[in-house]
Amino acid sequence: MKINTWYGVLTIGGTGEVLEFELFPKNIRELALRIITLQGNSELLWQHLPPTGFDLKATALRCGFVESSAEYYSLLHEVTLEAARIKVSESLTADQRIIQAVEALDDINETTNSLSERLFEWYGSYFPESGLTGEPLALFISKYGSRENISLEDPLYSRARDSMGAKLEAADEYLLKGFAESLCNLYGKKKQIEAYIQDSMESTAPNLSLVAGPMLGARLISLAGSLEKLAAFPSCTVQVIGASKALFKHLRARAPSPKHGIIYNHPLINTAPWWMRGKIARALAAKLSLAARIDFYSGEKEASIMDKLETKIQQIKASNPKPPQKKREKEVKPKKRHRK
Amino acid sequence: MPEVKLLSEGIFEVTKDKKQLATKNFDLGKTVYGEKLIQVEGIEYRTWDPRRSKLGAMVLKKFDVFLKEDSTVLYLGAASGTTVSHVSDIVPDGAVYAVEFAPRSMRDLIGLASRRKNIIPILSDAGKPDIYAHIVEPVDLIFQDIAQPNQAEIAARNAARYLKTNGNLLLSIKARSVDTVANPKEVFKEEIKKLEQTFEPRFEILSARDLMPFHEDHMGVLAKMRTKAF
Repeated sequence: MKINTWYGVLTIGGTGEVLEFELFPKNIRELALRIITLQGNSELLWQHLPPTGFDLKATALRCGFVESSAEYYSLLHEVTLEAARIKVSESLTADQRIIQAVEALDDINETTNSLSERLFEWYGSYFPESGLTGEPLALFISKYGSRENISLEDPLYSRARDSMGAKLEAADEYLLKGFAESLCNLYGKKKQIEAYIQDSMESTAPNLSLVAGPMLGARLISLAGSLEKLAAFPSCTVQVIGASKALFKHLRARAPSPKHGIIYNHPLINTAPWWMRGKIARALAAKLSLAARIDFYSGEKEASIMDKLETKIQQIKASNPKPPQKKREKEVKPKKRHRK
Repeated sequence: MPEVKLLSEGIFEVTKDKKQLATKNFDLGKTVYGEKLIQVEGIEYRTWDPRRSKLGAMVLKKFDVFLKEDSTVLYLGAASGTTVSHVSDIVPDGAVYAVEFAPRSMRDLIGLASRRKNIIPILSDAGKPDIYAHIVEPVDLIFQDIAQPNQAEIAARNAARYLKTNGNLLLSIKARSVDTVANPKEVFKEEIKKLEQTFEPRFEILSARDLMPFHEDHMGVLAKMRTKAF
């Protein structure tokens, strides 16, 4: 029986004794690559699998591959370390890059929000009438600094002229301008990342991108952990991804089950009347997991999913035109209680 | 002068201000996860936080870990290597086969393994033990700390293939990953029943205790194979 080991190909007899052996050269890189090839090829792996309980180390010593137990471990250590390094460096797939981008985007959103609030408060003492917040405010400050520098053509000119705000000293102006510029920079980065996510979603998960929209699709991948995992989820899981708190509350206690998780952000759901949302969420989730599966396993664009979803939504709308009546509450009169 | 008491081979209780679990540092002068180094009579001890390590908690819960200087260990679910580093301390002349599936954790583990000669890192799914059959030899101890619903089955499959006849299996069962909503006590009972009756090989449970107050909803299990697999 022929078996594959990390250090060579052996032929062994019924009781595990070695009949023939071919040892590989002690080249760490080559041995590591051999391990990776073997682990990646299940046919090769299964065909010449060492039998249960086969003592690899003792055999390596007997065949003369290594002189001592210490040498065996030292070499195996180097080889597996190299193999692990190669595999880790190959593990960064397109969907993992998308996940990093989505998470970076969330961080930037959080940061820009708190920084722009700070800027609003800070600059508010100097020009409270500006009426600007967020990105426009940051752009305004990085352009002019003090309101005194505002140009005549600017629509805010008269407000700036008549402002009750305090005078902005040079040192403060310098600080505020710098702060606003950094914030503008972050807003710029945010747009770059969004564009990047749109592009990569289009090439990595075209169908998911089509049904969910690139941003929601990317968020679904991020919450699932990878496109593979998202494709493996049943659609009822896809329906409630992002609603784990509500879901576990439902499973543990008597809370109602969540109708939708992050897919609530899909325009089909958040523009639908409340009594249809659960039904639409279910239909949408079914198509989303279908799309994720096509993306992961074939990668070709399948435009018919959208049409089918559209038909389904129309059906739901047609058969549920009115909100359901609350039953019984009107019919059953509350029992009269006798007061003591 | 700190006081040192031997708890089990390679595992110590060092008293400096307070009692602390510790192992002899294999990688002198270096720490792995921000633990303390304590010098006693020329020997460097590394403190071992039982709250961050199920194995550490098991030692304090008086589990026998059966490790010697030259033991071989198959460690399933190595993660970033916090506990693996202490196992590596305990078996300086043996080997720790550290199996981890997540590339992100493996990145940290590689950093650790490159400084510790006795760690053999394997980036593989522990649920498919055949994948590393051409690397791993029969071992004295299998330690498993993976949060999977079928973790008992995974342990049994690995034991069938890699555990020596007189070897031991140490498991940390996380009730919340077997069943998120069930009562942990029921989950533990079920998992033990599975180990005793369902899988091949069958196991004899030597001890089973929960890991409170160090880890919530976790139980440590020490088991031995009942039937000879090989």
